[in-house]
Amino acid sequence: MVFAILVIAFLLVHLAPGDPVTIFAGESGDARYYAEMRRKFGLDRPLLEQFVVYLGNLARGDLGFSYAHRQSALEVVADRIPATLLLMVTALVLSTAGGIAAALVGARHADRPADHAVTILTLLGGALPAFWLGQMLVLAFAVTLGWFPVQGMASVRTPPDGLGHAADIAHHLVLPAVTLGLLQLALVARLARSGLRDAMHEDYARTAAAKGLAAARIVSRHALPNVLLPVVTVVGGHIGTLLTGAVLTEIIFAWPGVGRLLYDATLARDYPLLLAIFLMAAVSVVVANLVTDLTYARLDPRVRLR
Amino acid sequence: MPVRRFLAFALLTVLLAIACAPPSSAPSPSGAATASAAATPQRGGTLVVAAGADPGHFNPAITTAGGTHFVADNLYNGLVFLDEKLEPKPDLAQSWTVSDGGRTYTFKLRQNVKWHDGTAFSSADVKFSFEQVLLKYHARTKAGLEAVLAGIDTPDPSTVVMRFTQPYGPLLQRLDVVEAPIVAKHIYEGKDPTTAEANLKPVGTGPFKLAAYTKGDVVRMTRNPDYFKPGLPYLDELVFKIIPQAATQVAALERGEVDYLSGVPGPDLARLRQSDKYTITKSGAGSGGSFCITTLIFNLERPNVNKAEVRQAFAHAIDRNKMLAEIQFGQGKVATAAISSAIGWAHNPSVQQYPLDTAKANALLDQAGLAKGADGMRFKVTFVHATGFAKYGELMKADLAKVGVDLQLAALEVNAANQRVFIKRDFDLGFASYCNGPDPEIGVRRMYVSSNIGPVLFSNGAAYRNPKVDESFDKAVAAVEKSDRAKAYFEIQDQVAKDLPYLGLIETEGYRAWQKSFRDLYYWSGNLAEAASRQ
Repeated sequence: MVFAILVIAFLLVHLAPGDPVTIFAGESGDARYYAEMRRKFGLDRPLLEQFVVYLGNLARGDLGFSYAHRQSALEVVADRIPATLLLMVTALVLSTAGGIAAALVGARHADRPADHAVTILTLLGGALPAFWLGQMLVLAFAVTLGWFPVQGMASVRTPPDGLGHAADIAHHLVLPAVTLGLLQLALVARLARSGLRDAMHEDYARTAAAKGLAAARIVSRHALPNVLLPVVTVVGGHIGTLLTGAVLTEIIFAWPGVGRLLYDATLARDYPLLLAIFLMAAVSVVVANLVTDLTYARLDPRVRLR
Repeated sequence: MPVRRFLAFALLTVLLAIACAPPSSAPSPSGAATASAAATPQRGGTLVVAAGADPGHFNPAITTAGGTHFVADNLYNGLVFLDEKLEPKPDLAQSWTVSDGGRTYTFKLRQNVKWHDGTAFSSADVKFSFEQVLLKYHARTKAGLEAVLAGIDTPDPSTVVMRFTQPYGPLLQRLDVVEAPIVAKHIYEGKDPTTAEANLKPVGTGPFKLAAYTKGDVVRMTRNPDYFKPGLPYLDELVFKIIPQAATQVAALERGEVDYLSGVPGPDLARLRQSDKYTITKSGAGSGGSFCITTLIFNLERPNVNKAEVRQAFAHAIDRNKMLAEIQFGQGKVATAAISSAIGWAHNPSVQQYPLDTAKANALLDQAGLAKGADGMRFKVTFVHATGFAKYGELMKADLAKVGVDLQLAALEVNAANQRVFIKRDFDLGFASYCNGPDPEIGVRRMYVSSNIGPVLFSNGAAYRNPKVDESFDKAVAAVEKSDRAKAYFEIQDQVAKDLPYLGLIETEGYRAWQKSFRDLYYWSGNLAEAASRQ
């Protein structure tokens, strides 16, 4: 699977128009200079030979040398993973918890104003593109109200230590995490809300009601666990979407993660770096799917690991 | 389960509350007292600069990439410093003499210069930098000097002699920290300068030393206490915060998160100007990517556009004032000659002009034998351009339709567009922002000389061949007296205004903005903060 992705990615990045040599040389180099640099980085070889060399290096754990960063591609990506991970996990927690909470509110007040509000908000949340939402959040909550910083992951002036540093990062994290998580939150909320409403009409829910259980308890003890199954599928299956969203979000908020690295590497046609990022993304999506399946086994008694 | 859920929500609420609280040490950088603008600069303080791109590494001698130079140049010096008017001033070289009719330049170096690691700087570093690094890997310096430089001698540790095969007038403009940064021989000798570890642990001579680098995020530099210019720099710290989006940069300036922007988008400029908190200035002179003219490239190897009447008709049909107003928000001016009006001594103010005149454009096209068809159209041309220049394409399409030319828009990602125009040469009309640089020799020559046609970005994209123009460029570079050089450039501009291989559209102008609490920023130079201070 990962190998197939690697083959396709390798072909795609090399077939895309543009030439890394002309880009990192800057303007007005000369033809001889380009040829020299091409030889230096092995770009003058046939594509197949380049791929074989690449695979050989990969087998030894060598992901190649980034043209733009003049450093091992693996090191460059590894440096940026923590920032993206922090952003993605926060967005994931925020969207899952927030989405389920919104669905609970909606299901508890079915067809009443609170429910309609949730429906409208989730519809909006699912429709707003991240680049627009991010800019609007910056204008409203950072520039005008001044509650949050505009950009970055930490203050660059006199960065505080220890706990203060963590609080500083959390402060910087709010707007990008909301931007990245809102679409996901809307999806989770809509899915869980409709699931809950259906579940409330199921026999087991009616039986529970007949036993005289309170509505709140039926929702949380009986309906919610069943509804969580598709939610887990959606959340797990959207790790890829989150990675994509991270590119835009990280650009808007100058968040120093892998998403922005991917954008810069694409513009620079930094082939080794691009492939390293693709490889990392492919592996993380595969791992996310595995984790989803394992979670399923834990949540659903019908699914058992052998 | 409900208890656990409640706990989870409680935790989330607490986290949010923490996150919402303003940081304990909220700085107020813009609140500095402007009333007591002291004559003597204050010591100390931190300047936070917004950088649009990650530098990647800190070796400005192996690249012309703007993102690397903007940051890394502050760690290094050139032989000369170019002042606001691009006049060469002493930097690593204390003085220089020109002899042998402009063929030999002798530089006397400063005596008290030390590398950041304490090693003494000498002429051997200069020779090494040129021979082993700049002439191999710095694309502009290689293209400009390799063919004319005969050799570099170092008769003693503080003397450098550069010998040329012919008189070479524009040398001093090419020796600042952007065009020719000097790197340390003892650091790079015996290593491949493109992959050396020192590129991330730079050792320069410059006013600041690298303190910390978090990729894609922030570069911190501290004051070099042993800097060879007495008393400088005044700032304790120079910090580059990497913010890719221009709109985010402006918001960060307004919030006081950064102090300096090297570019302000047109729509934000008016708003920033309403506040009295910022100093806003034109980018002005500068090396490398300065004095840029957005330029329409006619591919002279393609039918129709290879006719001079057709090109002149295009020039009359395209409304460049509208471009200036609608695309550049009035920043800049309509280009009138091949050399930017910003290079005053070389700019020819009286070449043939092509004012907006649809009737004349139609007449010229008729004259070229390209009659209108039944649908009112004469012919199709493909306009290959980067998506960032799409608005130029839209305006041109409307203007050219009025004279019966069907402009087919091919908007590509910027690198793909450059590749198609300059390397594959598959286009009728192309587009580039050609920057003149500090001297026409650096940025204008490459567009017109016939030896520079061919698969190189931002070369002679029109494939223009005129032996008279080639000869005049050679005359301009060999002349030592500025007036003789200007004469040759005037002739060139007269000729190309008639031949019109390119149509210069707008001399674009950038703006810099910074918090008023800072002064003496060398915004045109690679060494931005050498003498900057708080006030």
